[in-house]
Amino acid sequence: MTFHDAATREFPPFSTDACIKCTVCTTVCPVARVTDAFPGPKYVGPQAQRFRGPSVDGGSPDHTVDLCSGCGICTRACPAGVLIAETNNRARAAIVAERGSSLRNRLISDTDMLIRLGTPLAPLANFGLHNRPLRWVGEKVLGIHRRGPLAAFSRRTFGSWWKRRGGPTSLPAEPDPARTLVYFHGCAVNGFEPDLGRDAVEILERNGFTVIVPPQECCGLPFVSNGLYDHARRKARRNLESLAEFARAGYRIVGTSTSCTHAIKAEYREMLDLVDDDARVVADATWDICELLVELHDRGELDTRFAPVPESLPYHPPCQLKSHGIGTPAMDLFALVPGLRATDSDHDCCGAAGTYGLKVERWQIAQDVGAPLFAKVRAAAAAGASRAACDSETCRWQIEQSSGVPAVHPVTILAESYRRADEAVDGRWRRVV
Amino acid sequence: MASADVVVIGAGLAGLSCAAELVERGARVFLAAKGMATTHWTHGGIDVAATQGARSARDGVERLGAVAGHPYARLGDEVEPALDRQLARLASAGLPYVGGLDTPLVPVPTAIGTLRPAALLPRGQASAAEPWDGDGLLLVGFGRYRDAWAPYATRNLVAANWPGGPREVRAAVVDLPWVARLHNLNGLTLARLFDDPMWRGRALAAVAAAIPAGRWRIGMPAVLGIERHREALAEAEATLGARVFEVTSLPPSVPGMRLFEALRRRILDGGGRIQVGFDVTAVEREADHVLAIHTDAASRTLRLVAGTFVLATGGIAGAGFRAGRDGRLEERVFDLRVTAPPRDAWFSDDPLTPHPLEAAGIEVDDAMTPEGLANVRVIGSALAGMHYLDQRCGDGVALASAHRVARSLASPREMAA
Repeated sequence: MTFHDAATREFPPFSTDACIKCTVCTTVCPVARVTDAFPGPKYVGPQAQRFRGPSVDGGSPDHTVDLCSGCGICTRACPAGVLIAETNNRARAAIVAERGSSLRNRLISDTDMLIRLGTPLAPLANFGLHNRPLRWVGEKVLGIHRRGPLAAFSRRTFGSWWKRRGGPTSLPAEPDPARTLVYFHGCAVNGFEPDLGRDAVEILERNGFTVIVPPQECCGLPFVSNGLYDHARRKARRNLESLAEFARAGYRIVGTSTSCTHAIKAEYREMLDLVDDDARVVADATWDICELLVELHDRGELDTRFAPVPESLPYHPPCQLKSHGIGTPAMDLFALVPGLRATDSDHDCCGAAGTYGLKVERWQIAQDVGAPLFAKVRAAAAAGASRAACDSETCRWQIEQSSGVPAVHPVTILAESYRRADEAVDGRWRRVV
Repeated sequence: MASADVVVIGAGLAGLSCAAELVERGARVFLAAKGMATTHWTHGGIDVAATQGARSARDGVERLGAVAGHPYARLGDEVEPALDRQLARLASAGLPYVGGLDTPLVPVPTAIGTLRPAALLPRGQASAAEPWDGDGLLLVGFGRYRDAWAPYATRNLVAANWPGGPREVRAAVVDLPWVARLHNLNGLTLARLFDDPMWRGRALAAVAAAIPAGRWRIGMPAVLGIERHREALAEAEATLGARVFEVTSLPPSVPGMRLFEALRRRILDGGGRIQVGFDVTAVEREADHVLAIHTDAASRTLRLVAGTFVLATGGIAGAGFRAGRDGRLEERVFDLRVTAPPRDAWFSDDPLTPHPLEAAGIEVDDAMTPEGLANVRVIGSALAGMHYLDQRCGDGVALASAHRVARSLASPREMAA
């Protein structure tokens, strides 16, 4: 065990004592790379942490910590094992607790509420999202940048599709945890990208799993990122209550958003202090979908009858995926698809960082952070690529918005490859209904 | 799970160089590191053996090779081929070095105005080691950049005993365009500015205006570009009409970051994989054989399977060892036995004499194999028996041990141009 042991994981600021002031974190910080306003992870993290405390007058010594986008690259680069990004996120939450939060931040964090309002009115809501004068008003009134990457609402939620399909939502009468998976779709699949959820279900079912979709809410990460820990805890608690019985019964929970799965695996504990038995069993049972598919492949259990997908594909591993510590499982899966030539973007961060890139006062920073990535994606498109791939939704939306190239989740490509394989057998293009 | 022919643990000079050599020889390599390492803090030159009294690196290697237990006692003949490969590798990456094993060790100035012996420097620092022949040294500092303060260094250099040194040493502090508006200034900030041709032109014009009449060689903070360093250096010499060299200072070390990036690129282009933030938390072993290591991942560990595991995690000043209150030094990955003085000898009244703990490390055989684990190799400053600060041999030991291991694990293949 190292500094990443249980105690520091439960209270990351403890780890700041291990800082040797080497400045490696500042050299890798994408925000410090593009703006002088942010002094970098070392200053707002281990340095400022010494002056933070509940009893100090005014509480927070340095508000520039709020410029941290929370990508977590500093934590991974630190040779001393300091949980820098986690410490900084907590510092932001302390500022929010002290000074309150803006209406904008509370609004953009409450994705479930937005989806409840937006999906029934999808055509109208989407008109608003794509209407320049309205976006201008949104920028002036709310502070959501008029060119911030917002996805279009789906006309129906993934949840309602699942309901209509009659898919299971609760513990089966005859438990078979080895061949059953619990799908955590998250808010993005539910309200914006239900097709991704269908692709995931299709892939899992094809590999012999029964899929259960229990009642769930947004993982709470948008609230975490905006320092609204109380709101985030309410979301997390309700998810844990729903998921814990599956985890205890030995079921694995799989998600298609690396952000949600990382929130459940790590942030519930490291930021929200959720350290009870429910949180532990659920975290231990949670998998990113590509991580799980690679694990299946390692055991020789993945259906590898992939039909060729002859295209070149720029792939961007999102920051949240990197924080899982599992490398780039999507790249391993792409290697199984004949003809697919995927290239790792080798770029730190797209800039979006969840809701960061939406904010009028952060939009330019987010654009500058992602600019080299957008250029790479555009260059790949100019060379013939028709799309990019990325595991996290807000990163995909940022890439699409800023490069003009469509971006899909890796499993979308795998599902297509499977469908082409079926089509080659019997000439029919199937899609789960 | 991930698998490779060789897993290299550690992303310092030893680990990166070993991984680069391995991919060049056609091996499948996975480099896993807890974090980024010493390249970002050190000067970017290659200290092979600038030990006291040595005239050249070759002389130093011979002297240290005669010291019982020193890594050069086993690696002496490995230094030259290792160095040849590394210099060719870096030159082809656009980061040429100047000097070699037989180049006389000469004093070069540091950012605080001390002198350190050097014989092998990146092109950007090399002019400091050329004969002065009556040239004066103008040390340039940049206004508000406190990490390399020219007047302070100059005061020390004027007072220093510098045989064969410059005619005179003077300082100039230049205010660079736009910098006064910055809140946060470190070497990397300036290096990124120097990458920008427009800004660079104005900055160099400001420096040129500060050069007094006469023959000068210009020492500047080591911030002359990060991605476009070659271009920045060439333009500096052209604009200033003088030889220019970089003086390295506090972290982040821009020359070290250039070195890191050149090697990282080499490994990735050769099909190797690099993962930073991968801390080893468990080892699967069977008798004297390591089957797999596990790295820390959210909720579980990632299993890395390989035929051979190369330990390049650093010495007592790196992250390779951890000291316990019981006086035991623990090697953090494989729990290898660390040869170290007893705890009573860990403390010294004089902080500037070689520290006894510096020589702590792991004993290996000629193949760099530690006792008890047949498919593990140990390279770099985790090796026992050297005082790498005082003997200035850390880079050479890193390269030689990395080369010995890579050569034994992968058959030679034509090095890509």
